[in-house]
Amino acid sequence: MNNKGQTLWILFFIVPGLSLVSIVIIYPLFASLLNSFYAWDGFTRMEFVGLQNFKTVFTQYPYNERFFNAIGNNLKWFISSMVIQNTFGLLFGYLLSRRIKGHEIYKRVFFMPVLLSIIAVGFLWKLYYNPQFGLFMKLFTALGWDFMNRAWLGDSSTATYAIILMNIWRWTGFPTLVFLAAMDNVPEECLESAHMDGTPEWTMFWKITFPLIIPAIMVITVLTLIGSINVFEQVYTMADLDGAPNYATDTLGTLFYRSAFGSQASTVPEISIGSSLSVIIYVLCLGLSVLNILGFQKKEVQL
Amino acid sequence: MRKVMLYVMIILICLPGSMLFAAGQQEEEMVELDFSSWRTEDVDVYEAIIAMFEEENPGISVTYSPYKTEEYQTVLAANFKGGTAADVIHLRAYGNFEQFAKPGYLMPLTEDIIPELAKYSAQSLAGSTSITDGNVYGVPYASQSLVIYYNTAMYAELGLTPPESWDEFISNLEACAAAGITPLANGTKTGWMDEVMSGVICPTFYGGNDFYYDILDGKTGFDDPKYAGALEKLHSLAEYMPSGFTGLEYVESQMLFLNEMAAHFIGGIWEDSYFSKQNEDLDYDIFIGPPAQKGGAQYISTFMDGSFGINKATPNSDEAIKFVNFMASKEVQQYISDNLGVKTEHPEVVPTKPLLMKVMDPSLTTTPYMMLVSFRYEQPSGSSLIQSGLQALFGGDKTSEEVVADVQKGIATYFEPFQN
Amino acid sequence: MILDFRFSHSSPVKKVLYILFQIILIGYVIVIIYPILNLLLSSFKTTREIFTNPFSFPAEWRFSNYVKVWQKGGFDMYFVNSIVITAIAMALVLLFGSMAANGIARYNYKMKMVVYLLFLSGIVLPLKAAIIPLFLLIKNLHLTDNRLSLILIFAAMGLPSTVFILSGFMKTIPKELEYAARIDGCNDLVIFQKIVIPLSMPSITLVTIYNIVPIWNDFFFPLIFISTDSKKTLPLGVASFFGQYQIAWDLIFAALSIAIVPMIIVYLFMSRYFIKGMTAGAVKG
Repeated sequence: MNNKGQTLWILFFIVPGLSLVSIVIIYPLFASLLNSFYAWDGFTRMEFVGLQNFKTVFTQYPYNERFFNAIGNNLKWFISSMVIQNTFGLLFGYLLSRRIKGHEIYKRVFFMPVLLSIIAVGFLWKLYYNPQFGLFMKLFTALGWDFMNRAWLGDSSTATYAIILMNIWRWTGFPTLVFLAAMDNVPEECLESAHMDGTPEWTMFWKITFPLIIPAIMVITVLTLIGSINVFEQVYTMADLDGAPNYATDTLGTLFYRSAFGSQASTVPEISIGSSLSVIIYVLCLGLSVLNILGFQKKEVQL
Repeated sequence: MRKVMLYVMIILICLPGSMLFAAGQQEEEMVELDFSSWRTEDVDVYEAIIAMFEEENPGISVTYSPYKTEEYQTVLAANFKGGTAADVIHLRAYGNFEQFAKPGYLMPLTEDIIPELAKYSAQSLAGSTSITDGNVYGVPYASQSLVIYYNTAMYAELGLTPPESWDEFISNLEACAAAGITPLANGTKTGWMDEVMSGVICPTFYGGNDFYYDILDGKTGFDDPKYAGALEKLHSLAEYMPSGFTGLEYVESQMLFLNEMAAHFIGGIWEDSYFSKQNEDLDYDIFIGPPAQKGGAQYISTFMDGSFGINKATPNSDEAIKFVNFMASKEVQQYISDNLGVKTEHPEVVPTKPLLMKVMDPSLTTTPYMMLVSFRYEQPSGSSLIQSGLQALFGGDKTSEEVVADVQKGIATYFEPFQN
Repeated sequence: MILDFRFSHSSPVKKVLYILFQIILIGYVIVIIYPILNLLLSSFKTTREIFTNPFSFPAEWRFSNYVKVWQKGGFDMYFVNSIVITAIAMALVLLFGSMAANGIARYNYKMKMVVYLLFLSGIVLPLKAAIIPLFLLIKNLHLTDNRLSLILIFAAMGLPSTVFILSGFMKTIPKELEYAARIDGCNDLVIFQKIVIPLSMPSITLVTIYNIVPIWNDFFFPLIFISTDSKKTLPLGVASFFGQYQIAWDLIFAALSIAIVPMIIVYLFMSRYFIKGMTAGAVKG
């Protein structure tokens, strides 16, 4: 195989997708990221101000307070999703790959919440959490757990976690199937011979399966990271654009949206702040993703 | 060879798409006006109005295009930037309107081109007058008033009468609670409803219009103890709200009231049509936020809800002007008032809906819905500060002094009278 | 089949674990099924009943909600538009996405990381953030109020995550299979078609569902770019039931229940690719 031939093949595979993404996504995205270096008067771009807008976001009240509050909530999203959702995903994926009884049904059902529109899911979960006639309230009352009857979405200390729980319900099927697909790729012969040698199950998982599914773990970690930093719809449908109550559920996603587009019931857009926030989200996401990808690459095992 | 086949495949996939979606032919016989709006609920009413207009003006046809409220401002922004905005535009009021007036996207309306405009008071034009250049850019659509709904059947059963003072209001709420009825349906999870509640309850305690003008002049600030005291009065209603009220949102509160599970609902005059549509058997009426002392000035918070404006770049400006002038006429404003149950601003309109007559009672003192009317032009908006502040107050996360201090601090970042 | 996780012939510890896991799995199935049923049941209620009687059967089965939704402003047309747009956009996503993933995962070259990061930078921010430049771009291409604009946008939106997920899986495909094919005289395209694609079917299923649902449910881009009624999509129809102060939840649930059917069909159809051993067989054959 000559090198020129290979280059042509690479171009053939990459160019169609890359040109579409470059024109429709990368170009407009960078055009709007550039807006963060200018002052704005409503929708009119004024003079170049360098990093002034970023300074506002980081240091001026109330922007700084909102920003650090939001990023704290994004962190809650990331940690909870990694610890609960992806751990369950790994466990479920493993059990399904081991063809536990009922796996054909589980496989099909677990992914279903992903298919539902977030509008319906958010609405129903709000009803479940409702402090007057909610399902959880009825359940806890029946069990006699009155201490659990509270305004889950209205209490600033629990509201974010209540939304995260909804998302874990909705999204655990995805890591499950990603891990299942990865584990199904592990050659059966390796596992069978180890099994014959009497290797304990736990050791087999850590020594054989786990190293071989590192690429899938990387995919899930990076997607969880990006998803947690960009989380928007879940908060929007369950706690409004302002991250009620009192910004307790605000995230970078909702903060960005309010700044860039305004909120019809409270604020007008502020493009300078909105585009600065999008630059921050962009850098944060891409930087952390690259660190992750490089970190995992070292651990990867080639078959 | 394979490569060629793949390209053929790609083309085959794309081709039917592009053929299918080639722009359709349009017959251009009459002038077509596009009329964009955020009022998805009112399609029928606007189509009826358009039919009246088209009958009077053969040769012009108007299409009403409503967009989802939350995204409407974004749709307008993109279309103005791209030069594809509708000819006639239903504009939001105040800050939301200013952002399109300021860059010059809208046609200034004068009495020369819209003769009907002469009949409107300056106050009713405030929501569509630019604070930058002082020009009027829209014909008023409606004003909203904030009120308290009460269940008349429950009142009759408990032998209550609409309160004439704050103390009577509280004793009515107590009577409901004593009878095992949730006195107040409102929760605090929806931010803008918290602001609505403050608009109903607070003016009498902070001193209504005097305080408002003192604020505008910088003679006092939001950290005035009067304002904190007013918020404290609102906060005192918490004990009459449903259990878990911090987790109840707007729709859920509406439902509690219209399903007769609570006796009062603090809201806007716009709720009327929803309540009557959802539960025909519901007997309800309104009263206005009670004065601090019996016989004292009774304030009713009002605000302009929008206006009809014209895209400056429209190629059909004559027809658009004709249409907007029609929208400003007594005939249309009366029709809107009768069918949408909102208060319109044309002085010759006679309200026919009973609730409208109540809010238009001349003995009431109208007071601006402060944060929307004057502090939603810049960031951080007064609305966002008071909404989050009230949620913190009701949630027990902040005291009323801390809330007003935050409001003052936030508004002082851009409002010059507060800066010294 | 010796690796199956079973109850019988297991140690006592494993037996306890087995029971525990089954309880969790069955519990999760119930927790998933109930809200889905709840969604369907709500579509037969009035808005008021959705709130007063949210969790059980409707007092009266109101099929009229569906009739209203279907008759109101041409939902049949929205439905067809949605299917055509989603199908073409997904076809582009899968075709270009699997090609690009193949170009990244199966070759080694200097610019690889750059290409990879370019794709990745397409998922780190929602495209909504760039709506004004995007609007001007579409306008300059003369594609406003044209369904092709949505196809291009949706296809571009789906590509980055597709490339990211697929390349992660494609690089785990053993190189030996490729070498063997090369010796048989296959070129890169044949290897892509006959080895890489069949072996990637489970992950292709994953990216299909991952991307098709947001595309199917997206209402923001149609709202911005489509103005003619006959070109509108299903989510725009649903959005029309959301008023400023009044929300017709009865009609929304009916519309969403209609909207979910194609997604479930696609998913059940594709889930058959999740069968262990199928991929190995495809290569041998």
